[in-house]
Amino acid sequence: MAFCDFTLHRPDSLAEACRLGREYGSEAAYLAGGTELLVDLRSGRQAVAHVIDLGHLTELKEIRCDGDTLHIGALATLNEIAESPTVRERFHPLAEAIETMAGSQIRNLATMGGNFSCGVPCSDTPPITCAAGGAIAVTGPDGEREVAARDFVLAPRSTVLTPGDIVTAIRIPPQPDTSGASFQRFSLRRGSALAVASVSAWLNVEQGVIGEARVVMGAVGPVPLFAERCAEAVTGEAPGETVFAEAARIAAEEAQPISDLRGTKQYRRDVVAVLARRALARAADLAEGRNR
Amino acid sequence: MSDTRPNAHLIQLTVNGRVHVLGVAPETTLKQVLREELNLTGTKSGCDTGDCGACTVLMNGRAVTSCLVLAATADGAEITTIEGVSDGADLHPLQKSFLKHGALQCGFCTPGMINSSLELIRKKPAPDDDDIKTALGGHLCRCGTYPRIIEAVKDWRSFEGVDLDTEPGEHDERDQERDHSTVGRGVMRYDGPDKVTGRLEYTADLKLPGMVYGKILGSPIPHGLIKSIDTSAARALPGVLAVITAEDVPDVLYGVSPPRYDEEILARERVRYIGDEVAAVVAEDEATAEKAVKLIEVEYEPLPAVFDPREAMAEGAPLIHPEHEKYARNINTSVEWHFGDVEQGFADADCIVEDTFEGNRTYQCPIEPHASMARWEHHAGKLTIWSSTQAPHYLRHMLSRIFDIPQGDIRAIAPGVGGGFGAKAETTPLDLCAVIFARMVGRPVMMKYTREEMFRHFRGRHKQYIDMKIGLKKDGTITACKSHILLDGGAYTSFGIVTAYYAGSMVPTLYKIPNYQYDGYRMYTNLPASGAMRGHGVPQPRFAFESLLDTAAEQLGLDPFDIRLRNAMEPDTLTCNDLDISSCEFEATLKQARERTGWDGKKGKLPPGKGIGVGCGGFVSGAGYPIYRSKFPHSNAMIRLSEDGMAASVHIAAAEIGQGCNTILPQIAAEELGIPYHRIWLVENDSVLAPTDLGAYSSRVTLMAGNAVRMAASEVKKQLLVVAGEQLGCDVNALTARDGRIYVAEHPRVGLDWDETARLAFSRGGPVTGTGHYSPPPGLGGKYKGAAVGTSPAYSFSTAVCEVTVDLETGFVTVDDFHDFSDAGTVINPLTFHGQVEGGIIMGLGETLLEDTLVHEDGSLVNPDLHGYLVPTICDSPRIVSRAVESYEPRGPFGAKEIGEGCLPPILGAIANAVYDACGVRVTELPITPERVLAGLQALRREREEK
Repeated sequence: MAFCDFTLHRPDSLAEACRLGREYGSEAAYLAGGTELLVDLRSGRQAVAHVIDLGHLTELKEIRCDGDTLHIGALATLNEIAESPTVRERFHPLAEAIETMAGSQIRNLATMGGNFSCGVPCSDTPPITCAAGGAIAVTGPDGEREVAARDFVLAPRSTVLTPGDIVTAIRIPPQPDTSGASFQRFSLRRGSALAVASVSAWLNVEQGVIGEARVVMGAVGPVPLFAERCAEAVTGEAPGETVFAEAARIAAEEAQPISDLRGTKQYRRDVVAVLARRALARAADLAEGRNR
Repeated sequence: MSDTRPNAHLIQLTVNGRVHVLGVAPETTLKQVLREELNLTGTKSGCDTGDCGACTVLMNGRAVTSCLVLAATADGAEITTIEGVSDGADLHPLQKSFLKHGALQCGFCTPGMINSSLELIRKKPAPDDDDIKTALGGHLCRCGTYPRIIEAVKDWRSFEGVDLDTEPGEHDERDQERDHSTVGRGVMRYDGPDKVTGRLEYTADLKLPGMVYGKILGSPIPHGLIKSIDTSAARALPGVLAVITAEDVPDVLYGVSPPRYDEEILARERVRYIGDEVAAVVAEDEATAEKAVKLIEVEYEPLPAVFDPREAMAEGAPLIHPEHEKYARNINTSVEWHFGDVEQGFADADCIVEDTFEGNRTYQCPIEPHASMARWEHHAGKLTIWSSTQAPHYLRHMLSRIFDIPQGDIRAIAPGVGGGFGAKAETTPLDLCAVIFARMVGRPVMMKYTREEMFRHFRGRHKQYIDMKIGLKKDGTITACKSHILLDGGAYTSFGIVTAYYAGSMVPTLYKIPNYQYDGYRMYTNLPASGAMRGHGVPQPRFAFESLLDTAAEQLGLDPFDIRLRNAMEPDTLTCNDLDISSCEFEATLKQARERTGWDGKKGKLPPGKGIGVGCGGFVSGAGYPIYRSKFPHSNAMIRLSEDGMAASVHIAAAEIGQGCNTILPQIAAEELGIPYHRIWLVENDSVLAPTDLGAYSSRVTLMAGNAVRMAASEVKKQLLVVAGEQLGCDVNALTARDGRIYVAEHPRVGLDWDETARLAFSRGGPVTGTGHYSPPPGLGGKYKGAAVGTSPAYSFSTAVCEVTVDLETGFVTVDDFHDFSDAGTVINPLTFHGQVEGGIIMGLGETLLEDTLVHEDGSLVNPDLHGYLVPTICDSPRIVSRAVESYEPRGPFGAKEIGEGCLPPILGAIANAVYDACGVRVTELPITPERVLAGLQALRREREEK
């Protein structure tokens, strides 16, 4: 199947890439891993006259620590991220989340920058990044800015990015020793299948009490969805089956699922309740130093 | 052939160590450059959406889907394709391991699998199962070779520095084959080396000088009348050579079964489903053809459509073929069978079980998309067609009929075929349009389906709505069975008449059923036509029957094995519907399955969420009658010896589609001739070079083509024995040929070399040749209407036991283990045999748990792609133990019968019964999705709470 006709730009600098993006506006799309964009261009879901390839911007591929902050270049591939000792040491749940995604030959192309920029509701890296309190570094024609991961996606396939904006990095803040996080995902097939639902839980447990909690649901809402009431329900409580079961039930209420070929609304809620309980329990175990 | 247009990008690629400087258009993908510019067609094309993995290559050492890389962005990269994996003439140890483990079948996914495995073993030379699943989870193998691929990747280092010997492989575990030299041995696949190196060409890999490309326009509405077609804009597009509509093509109906030819090459007045062919374009290149198709303007008058066969039968439902009275009420085929006295049978029963079951519209989903290329020789009036077909003979027959060309003037060639499973058993619109265009424009024409077009063309499994009822005595003896089935046929007949009959005829072949009634109605709907899929019509009724049998066992307090043993078919039985069961070791499969799986210690005794289940099934070893009336033998073969006597060429046209017939047929030839397997040449799948064979469907090839090959070999051998007898001065009957010698059986030292004898024979009488042919025994089947469907020279039987884990919170079913015990007669090749069984289990697992083509309210497809339509991956593949029980089929070559299809029907019931054992939920609707299981669990919980 052929693509629509487009002009391909291969800018050498971030500034030039931003300039091109602003110049062509909605007529242009940035190309990172291509695993989403090229499929959309072929199917006709998207049609653009200009494709701006970011492949020359090697500085966006770096994974490093900025002080205590984990800096993941927007163009590092998913496999590079999952295999990175820095990532595994600093925030292991991200690597676990990535390993559930697609096939390896896709993970060798796809990037986190792309995963965020596409704003697809069933994406897997945004919810876990949100749970970790991460932020997205964006460079645009007007300079650099940082957006909290939770504020990044506005609606399905819509983000805070405006023409000329490019995600340059995903930043994960330092994780306290007393914290733990878990990504739990359910799909209909074990290998390479989109999520029916996912729940990412992040807990900080000090002296046996949950001081702070974040629970983020994927694929059950228009954007990565914070289960605020679920998080409130565990905050100030000691980790435990009963607390988590009740909180998980609340998370299921907070979900805003749709029915599609992967599952009905009701089934997704049922699954969210299970995933939320498992994610909370696992996060608590990790926070309290079990199974680390 | 670089692109030199102004917007082209000049790039440098190092491919397999060689530097290429190329001009590429912005939209050109890496896959296109490799395949089309550099002719590295080992990189396969399966979906264009990154879902199948067939196009995977190594880019800077990393496995990537080359369909999702723009070539221009790969500038400067180092690329390794499958062609660059081997070191010169010597295969990479990984490739050798794939060969030795039988880790390939149709070969279409193999290059991608090997490339991803290569990245893995470079990072981690001793990978474990989980590493392999993580690396290969995005590669789809529809032949289900996963368990062997895991073993091959784990074991790759065993082949470092190893010369792949030509000695016969491991023997089957049973004793009966010890009398043979080649039969019964796991010799490497004949086509294996070509598949692991990417050398084997599939139809879409072919390229001829001056080749042009065709594309078909399908209807966007499910039902309507064509008011007008304007092709002027398409014709005006530069590069377009011709545009055709119904007016330009023969006004003739075609299809599969002569009584119901109902398809038009291009729709004349009416379109009947979304995708129904309306017009077609041929152009200089593929992109232009695609653009031109979109420029064709068609005005339709939409008509009401019907998508549910239960509604299609109602009075006043829109009629899909109103021009023919025989299709009144949209009934395409009706079957009303009554054997014995069903009412009396139920009256005699102590226990009656009945339920309603709903099947699914599963699609064969071969990883190779359909393709067809035609060339018309105007001066000679001859046509050559290359097609991804399972049945080149029927293709030739149909082309001859439609275009009024003698069959002898048509050369039908099936290059490598990347899986079929029934999807490639019939003539496609691609074949027909390619021929029309080749004749019109005088150039070779290539036509291909996209993945979405494959789903629209469909010909997949009929969704069946089944009401089934079984009566039994207290001891479990079956007294009667009654089955009422509605089949969703879609818009055309395809193989559907046969499907409707098979759905009924095979039920009484497994268990002795004295009284049986079957009412089957195949309905037209405004959906893509259903056709013949592996296990043709049988798996869903078998799912219903095996589910009900377990329910009956529970009600009667019997073990599921006891109830099956009580009724198990026996050899030399004429069933209630007049099917002639010859060899039958069904009882042995049951007994071994029970014993070797530790059933008695597990059934009903596993912890909550864990379950074990049994299911049984079987299939015909080829249909007793051809699809159209013909007295020609069903299978034919020719053998010719080389002048020096060192080799024999076997000429056959039984299509190799991954099942392994082009390995076992040479084995049969080698055994009968008395020479080693590696001395056989195969000349295959070309109607000029090999005599007719009906093709790879109804699991017919091993028995039928095997017999034809054996007869041809026997004829050659007889000639050599005469020569040897004269030379040695002894009676011909005292001689035997084996392992490259001809000798006196009682005095093995008295003899001649086989090749020397063959040279003598050639010197005396010229070419040494033999021919063989096979037709099923005459007179198979009863005298009633439809009695022919289900007849066969022999039947397979198998028992499958599986163990599952059900997540009691989400309903997710994990199949942990499968054990299959098959009666397939003599095993010719254990590697391909077990490969077929494992593949059948994995395909059956997909049908049971994952697969369904879904339809929107407007008749369009919800999931015509490989991320919406989920087939099993390596991560979903269970541990599998496959065993063959002692068996000998007198009508088969060396005692062999079928295995490829009979291994699938048991799977659905086995899983359903295991799920019930694990959690008490009986799911009667396919697929058994987590959502359906959870709904059952929730209902059980409510029941318990109410109590």
